Amino acid sequence: MAITSIKNLKEFSTNNDRFEGAHTLCPGCAHSMIVRELMNCTDDNLVISANTGCLEVSTAVYPFTSWDTSWIHIGFENAATSVSASQVMHKVRKKKGTLKDNDAAVKFVAFGGDGSTFDIGFQWLSGAFERQHDFTYICLDNENYANTGGQRSSATPIGATTSTSVAGTHSYGKKEKKKDIVSIMAAHGSPYVAQLSPNKWKMMAKGFQKALETEGPCFINTVSPCCTEWKFEPKDTIEITDLATDSLMFPMYEIVDGHELNILYRPKNILPVEDYLGAQGRYKHLFKPEYKHIIEKIQSDIDTDWARLQRREEARV
Amino acid sequence: MAVEFEVNKREVWDGNYAASQALRQADVDVVVAYPITPSTPIVENYGSYVGNGYIDGEFIMVESEHAAMSGCIGASASGGRVATATSSQGFALMVEVLYQASGMRLPIILNVVNRALAAPLNVRGDHADMYLGRDSGWIQFAAFNAQEAYDLALMAFRVAEHHDVRLPTMIHQDGFITSHTAQNVYPLSNEVAAKFVGVIDPIDDMLDFSKPVTYGAQTEEDWHFEHKAKQHKAIIDSVPVIDAIFAEFKELSGREYKRIESYDMEDADVCVIGLGTTVESARVAAKEMRAEGVKAGVVAIRCFRPFPYEELRTVLENCKSIAVTDRSSPGGAMGAFYNEVAAAMMTSQSRPLVTNYIYGLGGRDISIENLKEIFKEQQANADAGYITTDIQQFTNLRGPKLSFFKTDRS
Amino acid sequence: MAVEQQDLKLKANANRGLSQLEGGFDLLGWDEVTQGSVLPSFDGDASNVAFQKAEERSYSGYNSYTATVASWRVLKPVFNIDVCIDCQNCWVWCPDSSILSRDKQMLGIDYDHCKGCEICVEVCPTNPKSLLMFSEYADVGEALASWPEKKKKEKK
Repeated sequence: MAITSIKNLKEFSTNNDRFEGAHTLCPGCAHSMIVRELMNCTDDNLVISANTGCLEVSTAVYPFTSWDTSWIHIGFENAATSVSASQVMHKVRKKKGTLKDNDAAVKFVAFGGDGSTFDIGFQWLSGAFERQHDFTYICLDNENYANTGGQRSSATPIGATTSTSVAGTHSYGKKEKKKDIVSIMAAHGSPYVAQLSPNKWKMMAKGFQKALETEGPCFINTVSPCCTEWKFEPKDTIEITDLATDSLMFPMYEIVDGHELNILYRPKNILPVEDYLGAQGRYKHLFKPEYKHIIEKIQSDIDTDWARLQRREEARV
Repeated sequence: MAVEFEVNKREVWDGNYAASQALRQADVDVVVAYPITPSTPIVENYGSYVGNGYIDGEFIMVESEHAAMSGCIGASASGGRVATATSSQGFALMVEVLYQASGMRLPIILNVVNRALAAPLNVRGDHADMYLGRDSGWIQFAAFNAQEAYDLALMAFRVAEHHDVRLPTMIHQDGFITSHTAQNVYPLSNEVAAKFVGVIDPIDDMLDFSKPVTYGAQTEEDWHFEHKAKQHKAIIDSVPVIDAIFAEFKELSGREYKRIESYDMEDADVCVIGLGTTVESARVAAKEMRAEGVKAGVVAIRCFRPFPYEELRTVLENCKSIAVTDRSSPGGAMGAFYNEVAAAMMTSQSRPLVTNYIYGLGGRDISIENLKEIFKEQQANADAGYITTDIQQFTNLRGPKLSFFKTDRS
Repeated sequence: MAVEQQDLKLKANANRGLSQLEGGFDLLGWDEVTQGSVLPSFDGDASNVAFQKAEERSYSGYNSYTATVASWRVLKPVFNIDVCIDCQNCWVWCPDSSILSRDKQMLGIDYDHCKGCEICVEVCPTNPKSLLMFSEYADVGEALASWPEKKKKEKK
C-alpha cells in the first residue's frame, strides 16, 4: 500500500485532495478536516461508505458529489456492511480477473457519526468487525445527532444539554455517561483501535495510516467538534479540540490486538475540565451553583478514566 | 477453478435446492445472507458449494437480513453478480434496503420463499411477505413449483442485469409446499446454464477506479420525483426484455413461460386467478368443473411486477365472473391482488364481475373442494349477471361465515 | 507582488465554482437524470486522480468542485504572502479544501469554496498573521495595505 509522507506538514501538503469543496457542512465543521486528512494519508484508490448523517447529507446532494473516489451511502446504519461486502467482492473479482484494473491498489473505509456508530448502526458495525473484514471504520464523534437538530446519542457526555436531554430548572442535561466505544470495539479483537483528535494532525495521520495498513477491521474514534450544537464560534474548532485533548476529556490512545494499550498523547499541563466545558454553550448551565457538583463529577470521571488508561498501559496485558 | 458439480438430466429437488443450484450455475460472485425458515437451505447450499470448491464465489453470513441486503447492495455496486434468499420476518427487516437496492438500480437476485408475517408467529407459506415487496421497485416473478423456481432463478439474472433493465429481481416460491417438496426437476447442464446466464457486464462499477462514482445521493423535492418516475418507467419497460428472455429460455429448455399464464381460458365463463401453488390446485378443480358442465378456467400471474394489466384484460375479456384469490391478510381493504385485477378489468370493455377470496393464511390448505365451491359461486354470478355473494369472502376459515362488502343493487 | 497573488482563479480548473448549489443546475427531466441517481465525479479516465492537482483533472459537472459556496461568506480571509512561512497549518485544518498549496507553498485561497469560517486565521502562527478576515466586499489591495505590524509579546 502506498501511504503518503507525514514527516512534516509541508510534505503532507503535497497531497492532492480527493475531497472537494462546496459541500454543505457547516463552516468550521471538523468532519471535513478529518475526512480530508484520512484521504490524504494514502495514494491508493479508496472505496468509501458513509452512514446517514451530517457528512453524508452534506457531501452528496444531487446533482453534486464532493467525492473524487468511489463512494456509497445506503442507510443510517449499514456503512460497515456495504463497504465490507464491497471488499469481499473485490477479493472475488480479483481472483477471477474480472476487475477493470486487476492490479489497482485499494483501501476500504467507512465513515459514521456517533449516532450511527454508537446507536443505530452498532449491530452492523459489530457484525462487520466480528467477520474480520479488511477495512477501516472511522467514527466522526460530535457527541450528538447534529444532522437532525442535536438530539442526545449514547456518545453525548453527562451534563450536556441537547434537544432530547434538555437542561433546565429540573435537569442538568444528559444523565448518563458516554458509552466507551473504543473499549467495546477493542473487545471485538480488532487489530487496531484508536481514539484521535484533529488538533494533533500528525498523531491522527499516523493512526489513520496504521489502520489503513493493518489487515482486518480497524476502528478509529475521532473527536469532531460541532460548532452548531456544542455552541462555539466556527473559528474555534481546533482550539476546542486542544481543550478536549489537554483536559483529557478526550484522551488519545490506541489499543492493538484488543489488549495492548498505548497512550499517544500526554499533555504537559493537564487543564481543568472547566476550561473545556466553559468554552461551549452546551455546558453553560453547569456553571450555575446548583449544578457545580456535575462539573466535579465530570472531573472525577476524567481522573478515574485517565488513571485506568495508564494502568492498562503499564499492565501490558 | 471450480470443481465440476455433476447434475443429471432429471433430478429430484425441492424448491430450495433447485434455487440454490441456479445460484451455483449462474456462478454468483457473492451471496450475503442471514438464513431464515423456510428459505434457509438456499443460502446454506450456496455456502456448501463454496466450502467444497464447486463455486469460486464468497458466502458472507451476516448478523441480520437488513445487513444481508445492505451487503448485497455494497457487493452489487462493486460490479459482480449478487444473490441471496429470505422469507417473512427477514423480508420485513430487509424492506428499508429493498427500496435502496431498486433506487440505485442494482441487479440483485432475491429468492423469496413466501411465508406469513407475525403476529401471530407462523413459519408456513402465505403471500404476506411477497405483497410487502410489491411497491419496492423490484421485478417479482412467481414460481409455482420447484422446476419453475429453478428456471426463473436462472432467467432472473438475465433480466436484472440486462442494461435496458438494471433492476433487482425477486423469485417467489411458496414456503414448504414448494420449498420443501421434492419433485422432478430437469436442470440445464452446467455448460448450457452458464452460457445462457452469461457474465455480468457492470454499470457504474465502484471497483472501476478510472471512473469514480457516488452511490446514494440525497435528492429532495427538486429531484426525487424525476428519479422515482425514471425507475417506474424502467420497471414497465422491462416487459419486452422479460418476454425475449422467456422466449430464449423456451428455445433452450422447451419450457414456456409467460408473464401471465392461462389454462382452459379459451371459452371460459368463469375463472380463478391465483399465485403460487394454488394455481395447480385450481387447474385440477377447473377440470373437474368442466366435467360438470361449467366452463371454468384458471389464470396465474407469473410476473407480479411489472403487473401485466393489458395481458390480463385480453385473457379475461370474455370471462363473465372472476374470483381473485388473495393469500394475505387484507388489513381493512380488498385483497391487494384483487385491487390489481379489478383495476385492470374496470378499464375493459366487458367489465366482468370480480370477486375476492381471502384464503390460506399461515399455510392453511385450500382444497379442490374449496376451489370448486368458488367456481360454482362464479357460475351463479355469471348466470345472475351480478355478484350474488359478498364481494370479499374468507375461504376455509373456522367459525361463522366471514365476508364483507356488498354489491350496490339499488 | 502580494496583490498579484490574489488572482481569483489561481490554480483553478476552468470549471471551478461555476454553479450555484441551488438552482445552479438545470433541473433535468426524468428522462435525463442519471440512472440510479449515481453521480460520476469525473469526465474521462480518472485513474490517476490521486496524483493530479485540481487544475489537471477533468471534473464532471456533477463534482461539487464545479459549484460555489462563496455566497455563504460574510467575511473573507485575505492572504498576505509576504508574512507567510508556508507552515501549512491552514491547509491541513481548512474544512473546505480551500487553501491552495502547491509544492509545499501556500499560494492563496479558493474563494469559490471558502465559507469564511476563519479557522485558517486562528491556526496561523505568524506575527502578524498571514491571514486575516475582512469584509466580503473589502478591496484586497486595501486590505493588504492596512495589514497590521508585528505585535510585541505582551509582558506578563
